[in-house]
Amino acid sequence: MRQRHIFGTVFTVEAAIAGAVFLAVLGLLAWTLLRHRGGHPPARAAERAERPRLEAYYVGALAAFAVFLVAWTAWQNHREHPAAGPRPLRVDVTGFQWCWTFRYPGSPAHRSVTGTCKGRDMPTLVVPAGRTVQLRLTSRDVVHSLWVPGLRYKTDAFPHHVNTLTLTLDRAGRWRGRCAEFCGRRHHTMDFWIKAVPPRAYDRWAHGGTATA
Amino acid sequence: MTVAPPARPRPDDSGRSVPPGGWLGWISTTDHKRVGLLTAGTSLVLLLLMGVLALLMRAQLARPEETFLGPHLYDQVFTVHGSGMIYLVMTPFALGLGVYLVPLQTGAPGIALPRLTLLGYWLYAFGALTLLAGFATPTGAHAAGWFSYPPLADAEFSPGTGSDLWIVGVCLAVTGAILQGWAVLWTILRRRTRGMTMLRLPVFCWAMIATCLMVIGAFPALLAALTLLAAGRADASLFASNAWNIGYQHLFWFYGHPVVYVMFFPYLAAVAEVLAVFCGRRFFGYRGTVLFLLVFAALSMSVWGHHMFATGQAANDYYSLTSIALLVPAGVEYFGMLGTVLGARPRPRTPMLFALAFIPQFLIGGLTGIMVGTPVIDYHVTDSYFVVAHLHYVLFAGSAFGLFAAVYFWFPKVTGVLLDEGMGRLHFWLLVAGTNLTFLPMFALGYLGMPRRVSTYAAFDGFGTLNLLAGIGAAFLAAGMAVFVVNVLRTLHARRLGRARPAGDDPWDGHTLEWAAPSPPPRLNFPADRPLPPVTSFAPLLDLKHREGGRA
Ligand code: HEM
Ligand SMILES: [Cu+2]
Ligand SMILES: [Cu+2]
Repeated sequence: MRQRHIFGTVFTVEAAIAGAVFLAVLGLLAWTLLRHRGGHPPARAAERAERPRLEAYYVGALAAFAVFLVAWTAWQNHREHPAAGPRPLRVDVTGFQWCWTFRYPGSPAHRSVTGTCKGRDMPTLVVPAGRTVQLRLTSRDVVHSLWVPGLRYKTDAFPHHVNTLTLTLDRAGRWRGRCAEFCGRRHHTMDFWIKAVPPRAYDRWAHGGTATA
Repeated sequence: MTVAPPARPRPDDSGRSVPPGGWLGWISTTDHKRVGLLTAGTSLVLLLLMGVLALLMRAQLARPEETFLGPHLYDQVFTVHGSGMIYLVMTPFALGLGVYLVPLQTGAPGIALPRLTLLGYWLYAFGALTLLAGFATPTGAHAAGWFSYPPLADAEFSPGTGSDLWIVGVCLAVTGAILQGWAVLWTILRRRTRGMTMLRLPVFCWAMIATCLMVIGAFPALLAALTLLAAGRADASLFASNAWNIGYQHLFWFYGHPVVYVMFFPYLAAVAEVLAVFCGRRFFGYRGTVLFLLVFAALSMSVWGHHMFATGQAANDYYSLTSIALLVPAGVEYFGMLGTVLGARPRPRTPMLFALAFIPQFLIGGLTGIMVGTPVIDYHVTDSYFVVAHLHYVLFAGSAFGLFAAVYFWFPKVTGVLLDEGMGRLHFWLLVAGTNLTFLPMFALGYLGMPRRVSTYAAFDGFGTLNLLAGIGAAFLAAGMAVFVVNVLRTLHARRLGRARPAGDDPWDGHTLEWAAPSPPPRLNFPADRPLPPVTSFAPLLDLKHREGGRA
């Protein structure tokens, strides 16, 4: 959930700044256009084409603002990717045209989930709530991308390469996952579920039982 | 002044021979105005065609679980729409505008490297035909998206001639752009008239300098990427290694980001010229604008990785830094535009309306660009409709509005007659309504989780209403474009019949040298019996008017 919170903060702040800048520019434009409407033309349009000092201050302010944004968002970004910590649960995720396989190398029953992503046959990635999960992402054919819109997180799955992604889901629940990188004819159906269950339920499931949240 | 009869043969630049008239004269011309018109005209026709493909997509997405195109055809349509708009419409139009205007604005009798310029047009035209020919092949056109990442675009996952044609077509078109970029750059550097120092070049010429530097510096990377792709299609084992898969992405975006500015600077500059002319004053902050255009171009070469945050294989902090740093030069350009308008009393003619709308609309694209350049946000929104909204605010609500400002502004220079003002306004208002209705809902769609490049979505996704709104917006856009086409055809028809009212050489009280030439300009641009006005600043005609009016 950490990703979702950090996204929420950064998105809100940046959207608010963007909205303020947009309204300011729009306001300035509207004000000039309306002010001179119908009235006399301004006695004489200002001739001055340069204001070097004003521009220098303005560039300074822009640069300071850019530095703030970069530093602050980079800090948030690093908060989003904490070290995996002790004993994360490892899941090997493989994308393929056009569905997913989730393998649990640490599970006593060697659980592995897959599907066809046709109709209702969508695979479910089961994870324990509250525990750090490390997804090791790869692909069997073309580039795919694992995206869980509700958790605001996405990472690409490449062939011949493993990307890792560390997540902790604080509470039990079920979210829709999708493929975000265009991967061919059935890209639009390449969906899955990610389901967080209480740790006990997860253990039962890892031993071969069913998972109920 | 009467309207000049079409195609009167005149001695050619070198004075050697009389060029042929008629259509042969057009396709073998070394007159920069004709090459410029061929380039820009071809790209306008392709704009309409790509617009039809856009309508097909919007129609399919207007309702959930609609499949009239079918997934494979949908993939071809978005691939050709995206690649067409970028490689065949916005880039060539920008360069065509440069080919037409730069010699006139610098007071030159012709373009440097005229034959290369013409060759550039031919490469572009054949490239466009080649790319579109994909639709006629049994497996259809290319369908792997305009960035065509391997291995999806290799021979195993994208078999078929359509993909080969796409590679060849894009390579031809891009080579044509590089040639025209060289010619325009060389004209500005070497063929300026007396008194036209570098700091007296019009803003548009400076924007073309920055543009051409990016074309020359970055476009070869696309040729390299496509060569790599072609090699991989011949020998599939090439992409059996992550190095080449990720390597292609780096090469591609090294071209792919600068091209965004190639599709922005010339339009921004057209808007700048229009704003200054219709406010009746000098463009504000000229030196800052020029300096920061160059800074912009230089920085643009180091931001490609922000398209790759989610790959996990790019230095995200670094690319975030360079991307967000772009807000400084962008802010300076906005400062200039606003400073020009503030306090003035603009004349609200059609070109000015498009130029004014450009300011807030492009700003939406720019501000959301900062958001997309922030990794934390990008992890969620990349490859979603948020990005589709962002890129259309940049390319359509921004650049295309600049494009129309340019068309309405320079049409009387090119043809000697004005487009109809009433229809121009109708076109404008339909486009404003349509643009925002089409693309604003897409931000929400992306935020809510709709991936891009999906041929349909499920009813329970809840994307139906917003997509329907976007579809209605697209209908407004189509109506607006129909008005534009009718306006242009009707005006040209009236001109041919000699019924159009001549516009005169300088209908808008222009500032730059092209308005001192006759409309349309003769073969060598400035007739000998009409000396060029002295060039005393970047707005020589304005200086002249002030002197005559005893004001300066
Ligand atoms: C100057 C005008 C335009 C330009 C430069 C442009 C450019 C693009 C580009 C580059 C793409 C990405 C294609 C891809 O990712 O492969 C795209 C996609 C798309 N465009 Fe446009 N476009 C323009 C106008 C329009 C209009 C007017 C509409 C709607 C009526 C539209 C609708 C779409 C749609 C629905 C997509 C698919 C998005 C996706 O699935 O990725 N475009 N366009
Ligand atoms: Cu996929
Ligand atoms: Cu996909």
